[in-house]
Amino acid sequence: MSLRNRELLNLVVVGALTALGFASVYIARQSVVSTASLSYAAFFFALYLVAHLVARYAVPYADPYLLPMAALLTAIGLTEIYRIRPGDAFRQAVWIIIAVAVFAGTLWALRRDYRRLESYKYIFGLTAIGLLILPALPGIGTTVNGARLWIHFGSLQFQPGEIAKLCLIVFLAGYLREKREVLAQGRLKDFGPLLLIWGGAMLVLVETNDLGSALLYFGIFLAMLYVATGRLLFTGIGLALFLAGSYFVYTQVAHVHERVTIWLHPWTDQKVYCALTGHMALRQDCGSYQLVKSLYSIASGGFGGTGLGKETIETTQGHPLIPSLNTDFIYSALAQGLGLIGISALILLFMVFVLRGMRIALLADDGFSKLAGAGLTFGFALQTFIIVGGILRIIPLTGITFPFVSYGGSSVVANFVLLAGLLLISNRANAPREA
Amino acid sequence: MTLASIAVEELLLVLKIAFVVLLYLFIWRIVRTASKDLRVPQESFILAPSQANELGAVRDVGPRNVGRLVVVSSPTLEPGEGRMLDSAPITVGRGPQNDVTLDGDDYASAKHARIEPRRDGVWVEDVGSTNGTYLNGIKLTRPRKLTPGDVVRVGETELRYES
Repeated sequence: MSLRNRELLNLVVVGALTALGFASVYIARQSVVSTASLSYAAFFFALYLVAHLVARYAVPYADPYLLPMAALLTAIGLTEIYRIRPGDAFRQAVWIIIAVAVFAGTLWALRRDYRRLESYKYIFGLTAIGLLILPALPGIGTTVNGARLWIHFGSLQFQPGEIAKLCLIVFLAGYLREKREVLAQGRLKDFGPLLLIWGGAMLVLVETNDLGSALLYFGIFLAMLYVATGRLLFTGIGLALFLAGSYFVYTQVAHVHERVTIWLHPWTDQKVYCALTGHMALRQDCGSYQLVKSLYSIASGGFGGTGLGKETIETTQGHPLIPSLNTDFIYSALAQGLGLIGISALILLFMVFVLRGMRIALLADDGFSKLAGAGLTFGFALQTFIIVGGILRIIPLTGITFPFVSYGGSSVVANFVLLAGLLLISNRANAPREA
Repeated sequence: MTLASIAVEELLLVLKIAFVVLLYLFIWRIVRTASKDLRVPQESFILAPSQANELGAVRDVGPRNVGRLVVVSSPTLEPGEGRMLDSAPITVGRGPQNDVTLDGDDYASAKHARIEPRRDGVWVEDVGSTNGTYLNGIKLTRPRKLTPGDVVRVGETELRYES
């Protein structure tokens, strides 16, 4: 079977899964949602059919599993968003249409040779920093939950950091490809431009309180440096610097100190001072409220889950149980609905996606493609780990989106561009060459 | 009323099981077919400099030593002039940013062609020139692998690939 036919078949399976998910939500909540739910599944399948046709033309030799996996993740996310707040699902569907259009546009524009992006690496590096600074500018920046990450044009909100991540990966891939031999020998002056652009990005992130993204960028940087130079020493130095820096920030910044305390001791038996209200309260009713409620939510799903559409997400008074459930915390809603079995499948899906991505990086036969492929895949994997690890209390929780699944336009668009990048790289690596 | 609600509960259970089973089948399908194509021979990209040097010392006729380009005729370069190829790609064109600069060749484009050593040999491709790149007199429409003795024409310059 040809690669693209395989992709089509996988998309049909994804379509069936989407229909099952929406049917389940519809039947469980007939009084709240309408038959529109089933049209979501049909709309979804049609949309991915379009994406598939573009891929068929632009990247005929690309990996046939990535697009169906991304489709499935967005479908599961959309189902859960629909269940949590049907109104948001419509907006998310619009964003998915935009994302697929951007995906198709990227494939189309770069179908001949994406490697010319390498010549513009410094432009990409500076663009990344520019995008990160944008939300801090007065007039267009918006602060949400203490982090200034959004820009708005009229009613449209966008988080430019998501796109900045991709620009930074292109810059790193281009720069490291060119300099990897001299970098491996450890000549300090070659690190200059690298540290400048990357340091600038980190500074902006720390300044805007976006700790999750700062962690993500740091990880991507170290991973790509390792792939390029093969020197564990650099990774070691980087990690040591990271630990020292983290400790410093932990002692100096109250916001960070609070996050670590919540992570280590989410429950207290006695009332402690609550900075949010200014009164004494148990910590689970104050700072760690969201995390603790999310843990209860995951636990109540048990082994088999409640089934999609039957999760408990509201208090008996009808208030939302967990704040920002459909963005940062969508994992815990899904864990309750799908149970341990289902959520393991979801995590497995992410792992397979990463496996395919790394394989693409291995098969690519030029340095830029290898580095870009590895960087994109690692960024995807680390982002998933940061948010899921945060929710499961493996690491301190930092707000970052769950790739493809959570509600949020910029995240969906950026992840589809990432997907387009991986498809382009694998198309080039798999294309038959005549002797 | 009770009968109907029982039916709904059962239907939801069936849907839940169907969803999870199909999800696992999907993953299994991907993992199974994906494991087949992982057995592709390839060289490691991650090499410490010392390892890379050792490799270079061991295989002096390995893919690192990939041949040379010799000028056959050119309005601007000296015939007989040569350039060794290593692992880095070489760009050919009229612009000063190229590795092989054809300053006085009016038929060459600013960015004309790229000669790129890959794992399986040296490849030539046109990078959007106006007049095209020719391999042994035939215009290139896609990248081609070079064999020793092949002549690449860029503008009015002819380059021969030698091993």
